[in-house]
Amino acid sequence: MLSIRFHGRGGQGAKTASRIVGTAAFLEGFTAQDSPIYGAERRGAPVAAFTRIAKKPIRERGLIARPDLVVVADASLIGDPSARVLDGVDERTVLFVNSPLTPDQLRARTSVSGRLTVLDLTDLALKQFGKRGAISALLGAVAGRLAGLRPESIREAIVRELTDLGLTAPVIERNQALAMQCFEAVQPVTLEPGPRAPVPSAQLRTPTYDPPTRGTAGITAGPNSAIRSVSGWRTFRPVLRPDLCNGCWLCFASCPEGAITIKPDGKPAVYYPHCKGCLDCVEVCPTDAMTVEREPEGANK
Amino acid sequence: MNQASQMMTGNLAAAWGARLADVDYVPAFPITPQTEIVETLSKWCAGGELNARFVTLDSEHSMMTAAGAASATGARVFTATSSQGLLHAFEVLYTVAGWRVPFVLVNVSRALASPITLEPDHNDVLAARDSGFLQIHAETCQEVVDSILMAYRIAEDPRVCLPVMVNLDGFVLSFTREPVVLPEPAMVHEFLPPFRPAHLGFKASAPHALGTAVVGGSIYTYFRHQIHLASMNGLAVYDEAAAAFERICGRRYAAIDGYRLDDAEDVLVMTNASASKGKAAVDAAREEGRRVGLLRLRLIRPWPAEAIRDALQGRRAVAVLDQNLAPGQGGILFQEIAACLYHEALRPRALCSFIGGLGGKNLSEGEFRAIFEQTAEAGVRGKGIGPVLLYTEAEHREMQQMQYLAHELKTGR
Ligand code: SF4
Ligand code: SF4
Repeated sequence: MLSIRFHGRGGQGAKTASRIVGTAAFLEGFTAQDSPIYGAERRGAPVAAFTRIAKKPIRERGLIARPDLVVVADASLIGDPSARVLDGVDERTVLFVNSPLTPDQLRARTSVSGRLTVLDLTDLALKQFGKRGAISALLGAVAGRLAGLRPESIREAIVRELTDLGLTAPVIERNQALAMQCFEAVQPVTLEPGPRAPVPSAQLRTPTYDPPTRGTAGITAGPNSAIRSVSGWRTFRPVLRPDLCNGCWLCFASCPEGAITIKPDGKPAVYYPHCKGCLDCVEVCPTDAMTVEREPEGANK
Repeated sequence: MNQASQMMTGNLAAAWGARLADVDYVPAFPITPQTEIVETLSKWCAGGELNARFVTLDSEHSMMTAAGAASATGARVFTATSSQGLLHAFEVLYTVAGWRVPFVLVNVSRALASPITLEPDHNDVLAARDSGFLQIHAETCQEVVDSILMAYRIAEDPRVCLPVMVNLDGFVLSFTREPVVLPEPAMVHEFLPPFRPAHLGFKASAPHALGTAVVGGSIYTYFRHQIHLASMNGLAVYDEAAAAFERICGRRYAAIDGYRLDDAEDVLVMTNASASKGKAAVDAAREEGRRVGLLRLRLIRPWPAEAIRDALQGRRAVAVLDQNLAPGQGGILFQEIAACLYHEALRPRALCSFIGGLGGKNLSEGEFRAIFEQTAEAGVRGKGIGPVLLYTEAEHREMQQMQYLAHELKTGR
């Protein structure tokens, strides 16, 4: 059995990528299983998805604890402990990271080591489509290539899954074409599936009774989410061009994170530590005063 | 006969179950992780693929009432809910069971608040175990669609005439795609004849009353006991339905599902989708020379005591992995397993109770290993253990970090 774990941010297309690989494998006659896991829906929050491919019925379910391949849609996830990108990764696991950096640069700047292959899907998508969007087809094609699936089945799987999402034929064709470029461009690394060394027995621990002040789900520390930065979630950042801004405050009203404040001159200002990069403010801006810049890798921490 | 499979989620499989059963009425209310089921049915009703009336209600309480009332008119009814939604409808579950209305309710398991969460465990569905609904718990997406068809046949049998709940796990089944073969409509037609209930058929022109008031206890006792008898009849009716389903559709679902039990000394008892992982763990343990097997409970109500006894008597040790917790007691299914083995001369030397997978917590390879090791030791000692909580040192360290954030970390203001 081949186990592929996808990590992305809500909205990037990790779930659809897992389905593209699942469908492609299924079309080639394998048994496939795919599933996503996410919390309360929040764009930009870490999500994971899992695809299993086998020749026999699959008895595993749910999260993949020891992946053969990890596909990382956004390099900023590597440094986010809640994303658990490196959980269960061993010397046999292959990592694909969507990043402009080289494997060596990534190894130097992040905690990844071992077997790594890299391609800047975000840049390809920007150049080809001229705007930011989900990169599910590209991720799916790369993962499919690394998993040894055939280009025809991946092309067909992309059509099926993107059609399922309600995308139009021209959009699907563009995605398909770029996905196949990525399929060719990614540097393949041979996967090494097969049984892993047995894990030891779990170290169980039964918690003891705590007083209700501690043993009840609740928060008493006050609003400390204010000191948590979500800067690392951004692939793109909104940047204001004050000369174009008409002061309508639509961006202020639509920011889901409350990251935009209004200055005394009536113009908005983005507080970047609380900006997750969803770009809703850019979408609503009637004068294109909110512009988009790609975050340089590693600079937005 | 088209036996081609297609990739689908447990939720889509559930919607297909209703579509293939050609239901007449779908009262609906959304809740994660069930919503995809009613969304799909609403699309099919609007598009004409399913000739049913789809109605959104203001709550699950109204939804369940509508389901019972529509069923009382003789319509074939399907509805679905999850977790808090099932509990919101709780009063009505008992009420409609007393009406003896044979509709099918899908519950997508999700752990109960508080604290609130989205991922599965079985405290929701098992809370309803005494309502009079029959309960079938599914392990795979294929089983979801097949079980819904079986559920209608069992529910509508005049020897039963009770509503049936089909349970599937949230996320691990509801959002998981795997290959599913849809039965051909002709097969379903043969397996599931049209619904013609003798005691139902409310019409404006023929008014009658259901669930009328009784006082004094004896009348109540009689009717409540009738529900019990109807449910117990479900055992034989279930077996007949399973045999017919196998004959027509080629897949067999016994009330209990034994995996590598033949020569097993120790047996792990589980339910629902995580039983797949349990089976994988059995395979792994067998490779290391442990003679273990797994018993999955599929039919929970009526309780197939006879079959369970046959499967478990003479074993060295039995471990019950409850994906639920009854505070002040322990694991719900452990109690029922223990009760039905008590009178058995060849009862296992040790019964072990494990509580795991709460709130969707992953059942890890290491946890299964701990279960098999501790169960074997208990079997050798001849004394059971538990309830043992499947919760690890590492998880507790993370928990303590969360508590620091929640209670100690200050904002600096
Ligand atoms: S400032 Fe813009 S990009 Fe940042 S969180 Fe708010 S709406 Fe999203
Ligand atoms: S939406 Fe655009 S124009 Fe309106 S206040 Fe924001 S930046 Fe200025």
